[in-house]
Amino acid sequence: MQPRSFFARSVIYALLAAGSFLFLFPLIWLLCTALKPVEQTMAMPPTFVPRTYVAVLGGKQTEVTRDYQVAEPSVLVSPTEGVSQGRPLLVPRTLYDAGQGTVKQVTYEGGEKKATLVRVRLLKMVEPGAWHVTERSQTKVRSRELRSDVLAESEITSSVKPRWENFRIALATMGGKSVEEAEGSVTALETGVGEDSAVSFWKFLSNTLVVCLLGVIGAVFSNAIIAYGFARIEWRGRNVLFALTLATMMVPFPILMVPLYSVFKELGWIGTLKPLWVPAFFGSAFNIFLMRQFFLTLPRELSDAARIDGCSEWGIFWRIILPLSKPVLAVVALFHFLSAWNDFTGPLLYLTRKHTFTLALALQNYQSQHGGTQWHHLMAASAVVTLPIVVLFFFTQKTFIRGIATTGIKG
Amino acid sequence: MRANEKRDLKSGLGFAALWIVGLSVFTLYPVLASLFYSFSDFSVLEPPVWIGTGNYERLMHDVVFWKSLKNTLIYTALSLPLGMIVSISLALLLNTGVRGMALFRTFFYLPSLVPLVASSMLWLWIFNGNHGILNVALRPIVAVFGAEPPTWLSDPNWSKPALALMSAWGVGNSMVIYLAGLQDVPQELYESAELDGAGFWRRVWHVTLPMISPVIYFNLIMGIIGSLQVFTQVFVMTGGADGAPARSTLFYALYLFSTAFYDLRMGYASAMAWLLFLLIVGLTLLATKLSKSRVHYR
Amino acid sequence: MAWLGLCLALLGCEPRSNKVHVTYWEKWTGAEGEAMQKVVDKFNRSQDRIVVEYLSVSRLDQKALVATAGGDPPDLAGLWVFTIYSFADRNAVMPLDDFIKADGSTPEKWLSRYAPVYADMCSYRGQIWAVPTTPTMYALHWNKAMFRAAGMDPERPPKTVAELDDFAARLSKIDPKTGEILQLGFLPQEPGWMAWAYPQWFGGQLWDGQKITLDSPKNLDAYRWVESYSKKYGLDKIRGFTSGFGNFASPQNAFFGGKIAMVLQGVWMNNYIRQFAPGLEYGVSPLPVAAPGFERFGAADADVLMIPRGAKHPKEAWEFIKYLSSHNQAAQRKEELAGVELLCYLQEKNSPLREWSPFFTDHHPHPSIKLFRELAASDQAVHLPKLGIWQEYAREQMSVFENVRLLQQSPAEALRFGQERVSESFRFHAESLERRRARKQGSIREGAEP
Repeated sequence: MQPRSFFARSVIYALLAAGSFLFLFPLIWLLCTALKPVEQTMAMPPTFVPRTYVAVLGGKQTEVTRDYQVAEPSVLVSPTEGVSQGRPLLVPRTLYDAGQGTVKQVTYEGGEKKATLVRVRLLKMVEPGAWHVTERSQTKVRSRELRSDVLAESEITSSVKPRWENFRIALATMGGKSVEEAEGSVTALETGVGEDSAVSFWKFLSNTLVVCLLGVIGAVFSNAIIAYGFARIEWRGRNVLFALTLATMMVPFPILMVPLYSVFKELGWIGTLKPLWVPAFFGSAFNIFLMRQFFLTLPRELSDAARIDGCSEWGIFWRIILPLSKPVLAVVALFHFLSAWNDFTGPLLYLTRKHTFTLALALQNYQSQHGGTQWHHLMAASAVVTLPIVVLFFFTQKTFIRGIATTGIKG
Repeated sequence: MRANEKRDLKSGLGFAALWIVGLSVFTLYPVLASLFYSFSDFSVLEPPVWIGTGNYERLMHDVVFWKSLKNTLIYTALSLPLGMIVSISLALLLNTGVRGMALFRTFFYLPSLVPLVASSMLWLWIFNGNHGILNVALRPIVAVFGAEPPTWLSDPNWSKPALALMSAWGVGNSMVIYLAGLQDVPQELYESAELDGAGFWRRVWHVTLPMISPVIYFNLIMGIIGSLQVFTQVFVMTGGADGAPARSTLFYALYLFSTAFYDLRMGYASAMAWLLFLLIVGLTLLATKLSKSRVHYR
Repeated sequence: MAWLGLCLALLGCEPRSNKVHVTYWEKWTGAEGEAMQKVVDKFNRSQDRIVVEYLSVSRLDQKALVATAGGDPPDLAGLWVFTIYSFADRNAVMPLDDFIKADGSTPEKWLSRYAPVYADMCSYRGQIWAVPTTPTMYALHWNKAMFRAAGMDPERPPKTVAELDDFAARLSKIDPKTGEILQLGFLPQEPGWMAWAYPQWFGGQLWDGQKITLDSPKNLDAYRWVESYSKKYGLDKIRGFTSGFGNFASPQNAFFGGKIAMVLQGVWMNNYIRQFAPGLEYGVSPLPVAAPGFERFGAADADVLMIPRGAKHPKEAWEFIKYLSSHNQAAQRKEELAGVELLCYLQEKNSPLREWSPFFTDHHPHPSIKLFRELAASDQAVHLPKLGIWQEYAREQMSVFENVRLLQQSPAEALRFGQERVSESFRFHAESLERRRARKQGSIREGAEP
């Protein structure tokens, strides 16, 4: 359906652009957040570009955080009496009496609202639009120990600064290190708290790669071998077995979940990576079906000629059929890799110790421990888990799209 | 049996040997065992005790079970049509033959590449009631009506729509399948329809949709099966299998999981699994029946 | 001979050769984990036969159960009281009575060393299943600076729930322009760790020894109170307010960040304040009185050690448990503290034992530790009901709490619903236990026949 008119084409482009924006925006937001310092992730109104703010505090150029913007004309004062003595206080100008040098404070006494006057020293007049800023600190020090001030926007210099260190810290804390350890401000305890307390990100990655790669090898070879038996040899019982194979595709995972758990328990595999990759070496109904369909399209004469040359059945499979089947092998390999990389339910069921976790499970575990505010680190970790898949996609785009289109597999 | 028949049987079994083991150990035995467990009191720690239809009878009276079923069906009813509309629309847009199709296709497809745990985390952040970018964008719009945007995942009334919204973001796969279906539609059909004076919408309705109806049917079935078993994103985004807030996201698979692995009531969970299977078969048959007159196989 | 000795000494450098390795899973990370590691190290040095390997594991209640079910349990699991009864009923944990008897003691004697409320938690169906490691009592924690800022006496905490509500109102700040909540005096769900005990706090009961009593009239008062906060401050406003809170263990915790002025928390709170909000001025006092006749009410909870069924080295695990139930009455310095007192000292918690060494009592790092000892000694101290279905009960109770708090159901309606569900669960569980008992007897009888 090709639109002819300029108008129709413009509408289509506009829709495509709007759609692309909606689909890409969350990913952009993921990266934006991953590169921001924590306080900017929650800034209102939100900013897109990670920035650094520098201002003069106590006579020194200091990196600061912008806490909030002053809405009404105010004064910055320092009470010379009462409970908040000595601490800078931002008060609306209407409550400030310049002549008396006092501010009005509302207090309760015995449930009664009461206004008292507190003697103060004026520090500066503050206009609307000024920012309350605080010295930025890497470590968790209480805000009252940090210097703060109220400054006009022009007194704060702002520049773009992506925080790439978020990625380093996220990867380190994902394995269970504290932020201080990851930043190097505290050295890790020498005794350690057991092997599970701080597992390196690379351990999660290598676990994931073990599951993915062994699984891919298993899936490609086992399914090819099995499918060959179904597609190119005629034997009694073949069709019955194949029908049974197709029928099992209907069975949803929840039915298998409980008994499989018992099976793996009997095999002593709970708590190891084995339940996640060994089954791949024994074929799967869908992949068998997929490969069988492909093998059926290869001309019969190829095998017959080889057979006359005295080639064994295995030889035909290995030397003739397999080399011709690269496209379908690639599809199976790719999608097995993807599903193993993304799998969450399997690791959740079978893995018990952190040092055996795969990335997907480690990421969820990270979220459940550090959720709430550390959005920059969570987004950085999510980006790292996503990146290899995106890279893989760009290198194998053709196989990918063809694979989905011809099989309908979910990636 | 002749000699070469025998030989074929031997080599056929040889090639299928792995599968015979795999099928028995990882599928057939589990299916039979699950059926047996569903009629037993079973905790894995001790051998199962046969209790007849006890689990099924109790399920009929389990209010939370029905609630989880209702939640799942509501979620399906929200996410399935939404996903179909979005993916078909995108496929139609991409199929207009404009330049840059491959680029746009990549854009639309990228989100479905993101591992589900990672995208759950991202949407958890987007849906955050206070600082989430979605509410930041919505706040000025709904403020016109004097309202405030919902807090999505922390509001029992909005948690399911939020999850459905998120699912629409990951429709890349079905979009690609639709696109492949659309590209198979012969160009002449459109041309003759155009000659008959059919406008854009009429062509979509009378030519395109009927022509890709098998693909729609396929995606519909896959969609039903998928959304009845939705688990990972809910587990990650609502912090476990409790279906927070207020059990509004306690879906079938979550209740099944927590029954099996938190309460170790594996027999009861197996009974739930079999009812799920029946439900899937039932809905598939229903969809097949309803679509029989409308799906056109070429 | 000297050469032989040297060789043996060199061989001795290889400690793995004949020592038994006991795997120990715990929930603690960070400072609490380090404290336990020190206790483990001290135990490992105290003898040369057993090496305890400490692993901190997240979501331990689920992991331990699944690992036990999967045939791969640790030798020791550091769990919570709420897991004892369900683990026991599911046959997932070993009773300790035989170990105690083998040491020439009796279960009664063993338990008598613990403060009664903590001793009672660990016995169930006539057997002992666990020992308390670090216990707690819930207490009111209030932010003195926020009291002062609101013009209130920072040394005067609320004494009754009516006062708590009144103080809460005075401590709350709402943005006059947007109506947004800026700070709240109190919220029943922040963090709501004591929510399981709200009914008992209000004079109600969860279990009367025979049947589930979730819908008893006094319980209704508790949930009406929970509901009143959502109604008073507005559900949407509260949601907006709380979505800005960080995780519990972070400086963005609502209490540390000065967003909530009063919380009901356990003895651990001091640790977290030191770590995430050093310098926070706060006070600790007994729970405000919620119902007449319950003036000395206290809610107790504890971390416990258990030996999962299928553990590979139960005897050696028991040795460690024994160490963790001992203390050194004569300790004069921190270095001389031993067993459970060393752990509770390092974790800055109260000791579960009846007797405390003078050093532990007087030099404890927690400024209010004596208060927690008194709370635990109260005759009105309660703990959660000893029910094999407690985890399901707790989930149901949490759902009642959530539904009420989110104004999805009226308290009466939610309790009626919960009551029905828990009773049903209870019945089903009792039947299942009965069946298993019958089968066991059956198999014994069959075995007896020639």
